[in-house]
Amino acid sequence: MRIDDYEPIIGKSSIEELRLLADKLSGKVIRNINSTYAGGGVAEILSRMLPLFNQLGVDARWSVIKGNDEFFQVTKKIHNALHGRGGPLSPQDISLFKETSQKNIEEINLSGDILFIHDPQPIALVEKKKEIGKRWIWRCHVDVSQPIESVWGFLEPWVTQYDAAVFSAPAFSRPLPMRQFLISPSIDPLSDKNKGLPRDTIDAVLSKYGVPNDKPMIVQISRFDYLKDPVGVIKAFKLVKRSIDCSLVLAGGTATDDPESSTVLAEVKEKAGNDPDIHILLIPPDSNVEINALQRAATVILQKSLKEGFGLTVSEALWKAKPVVASAVGGIPLQVKNKFTGLLSHGIEGTAFAIRQILTNPEYAKWLGENGKEHVRHNFLITRHLKEYLLLFISLDHSEDVIYLS
Amino acid sequence: MHWLAENWPDIILPLVALLAGLIVTLWLRRRAYRALARWVQKSKWKGDDILVRATRAPSILWCITFSAYLAVEVSKLSATWKTRAGNGLWTLLLISLALSAANLANGLIAYYGDRFKASERTIAVSNNVARAVIFVIAVLVLLQLWGAPTGALLLAIGVAALLLALAWRDTLPNLLAGLQLNARGRIKTGDYIKLETGEEGYVKEMDWAHIHIEALGGGVVSIPNRKIVEGTVVNYGRQLKKAREPFHFFGRAHLKELTGLKASNLGELVNILKTVPDSIVYYHTHNFIEEHHYLTPEPANDFSVWVSDALGDEVLGEQLAAIDTFEFTSLAALRDRLVSIIEEHLSQEAQPVNGHRDAPEGREFRFIKSISIILPTHYVAHDLREFVEALRILSLSSLYFHVFESRLRLGKGQNDFSAWLESSLDEKELAQEVARLDPYNYTLEGLRSSLIQLIENRIK
Repeated sequence: MRIDDYEPIIGKSSIEELRLLADKLSGKVIRNINSTYAGGGVAEILSRMLPLFNQLGVDARWSVIKGNDEFFQVTKKIHNALHGRGGPLSPQDISLFKETSQKNIEEINLSGDILFIHDPQPIALVEKKKEIGKRWIWRCHVDVSQPIESVWGFLEPWVTQYDAAVFSAPAFSRPLPMRQFLISPSIDPLSDKNKGLPRDTIDAVLSKYGVPNDKPMIVQISRFDYLKDPVGVIKAFKLVKRSIDCSLVLAGGTATDDPESSTVLAEVKEKAGNDPDIHILLIPPDSNVEINALQRAATVILQKSLKEGFGLTVSEALWKAKPVVASAVGGIPLQVKNKFTGLLSHGIEGTAFAIRQILTNPEYAKWLGENGKEHVRHNFLITRHLKEYLLLFISLDHSEDVIYLS
Repeated sequence: MHWLAENWPDIILPLVALLAGLIVTLWLRRRAYRALARWVQKSKWKGDDILVRATRAPSILWCITFSAYLAVEVSKLSATWKTRAGNGLWTLLLISLALSAANLANGLIAYYGDRFKASERTIAVSNNVARAVIFVIAVLVLLQLWGAPTGALLLAIGVAALLLALAWRDTLPNLLAGLQLNARGRIKTGDYIKLETGEEGYVKEMDWAHIHIEALGGGVVSIPNRKIVEGTVVNYGRQLKKAREPFHFFGRAHLKELTGLKASNLGELVNILKTVPDSIVYYHTHNFIEEHHYLTPEPANDFSVWVSDALGDEVLGEQLAAIDTFEFTSLAALRDRLVSIIEEHLSQEAQPVNGHRDAPEGREFRFIKSISIILPTHYVAHDLREFVEALRILSLSSLYFHVFESRLRLGKGQNDFSAWLESSLDEKELAQEVARLDPYNYTLEGLRSSLIQLIENRIK
């Protein structure tokens, strides 16, 4: 993608602003470090952002740490523990993490002016700070609002060595001795998952999955996980259907490494029974155009999660100018301002009520959808993300609250 | 003598014809030039002056040639000699016409060259090209007249013309468009023009190929004349009163700094609110506007939203939402009002239930600090026209900075636009009108439109 491709979406003045800010970083090298070049949200956002940084004239580079399978099993454990799942680390886990980190500290290229370290896997690289100096930022993409405290305690001595930390939602922060910034994640409006689709493509996807488009369609896209409450979605749908003829599409993949998802899927199928208006679709991973098409075919999009990290799928739904009904959990209230950019709900009845409101008031639904899209345009697109990273790098050299640049 | 005595009628007749021809043509010429002189005096077009000047002297030669031709025609010369003499006279006439045409072309080129501020080199090249074209045409006609072959020459001329046309393919349309613009006279130096393609500014200079404008974003932009003629151009006309100091537009971006501070109930909220830096008060009273500026003019602050939604205290939520932020010129005063409303509410309760009523887990109030980064943009306004045109294309964050942030956060007490209008342009009334606009009751686009309207009304 080229930075100018975003001009029709965010306007010329916003692109000019990005160029002005990037200009202030000329001559500086930003080195991003994470654990993989492919797979996962961090690699995806870096692969999209780095070319844009470079087009703006910011020398942004990317390195990854090395580690064997055992090391990455430990980092997976850490990841889950930060989310509040699993248990504490074993002494073997700790020593393996430290050993591999030490190896990486010795081997990895740490040239550059700003070292931008993503997530917990490469966190210990900051030990090199005493020796080489430079600016160090820890970008935490994980929901650390309720971590297993012993695991957070294990990471904290490294976290506090950084010059700054960046979190995705206010609830993820905690009192720390260094500066912390709030930078929300973002969606790319030009990616397969979000770009505009012709009607033919949408119809082809519906016919591929055998979903008739003959009545208002309620859609939830999420993996089959208890935390996404697919059973609750069916219950809410059945309440709505008492008075309004409509259909429900529950689409998502099952995580192959998660035995729970098969159980959830079985339960969902049982709950759906023989209702011909309920369509349960198992979509292969990376079916981005299919997901895009299903969202664009929807009359209402649901995100009835019981717990959520940031819940970026909500921004993806809002970007399609669709009315969204979502639970007020995690980062969702940042994206949906109740009654302005969508409707927030707290339970099954509330969700059913919100869906009915939307289905019976098409003008209101349209207004919510359009507001939602505008909200995403101004706050949750990759260009805003890019701008905040530029501001972050610039602000490292300033301690004041109002910074004047010449 | 004998021959003369025998043939005198054959000599006298052509002489008479010559004399009569001279008398008539010279008399007609004199009348014609008198009439032309009167017409030239009345006409504003300088081209007729040049035409008269270029033909005045050669026209005597034309009279002589015509009279001589009459004399030859009435003479007793043989047909062969008559043809030769006729061709000789035509040759003379053609040379004279070619010289006059060259003079006329050079005069016109000098005149338009001066008007379009063409360089000396361009004028010299144009003169040479015009001369070459005229003389080539004259030579061709002469060769035709004397029966010489012209095929090869015509081919060479065709090739040369093609090469010339190729070399001038970009310049020629601009030159013609320049002539068209000049003839219409609708755009003059000093006018403010705006093209549909986005270029705009005061016309600094118009030359034979381009119009040069002083762009809003600084620097001079040269626009080909052809683009002006073919596109849609709005001409706002004359230059307006120049400001003593130009207005420099600034852009503003912000970062959200997390503090780790959180409040679960009203008591904690008010205690923390009393001690946090102004930048935190600013963030929570302006974040909604920044994130939802496209949506609603409803000026909600984060405190009122949290009290209503997370604590379920609609009454206090409404009281906090009803605070008129526009009333305040300092963040300290705004903070005092927030604190006093919450404290009064707490003290009025028989049992301070709300002071201890906790928000549900995960919905605590998180204190965030606003970090502003302010940087100059390319846009500079020297008068009201440039100012209003910059307002149309300015980023909303820039508009936000000059109207909201500058006034309250930077403690200037009034928005930057009003300050400039009054101090640098003496536009007191307009400054007051702008200052009276309550920005908290508009969406940012709505505010932009209102400002533009006010200024356009003033310029009219």
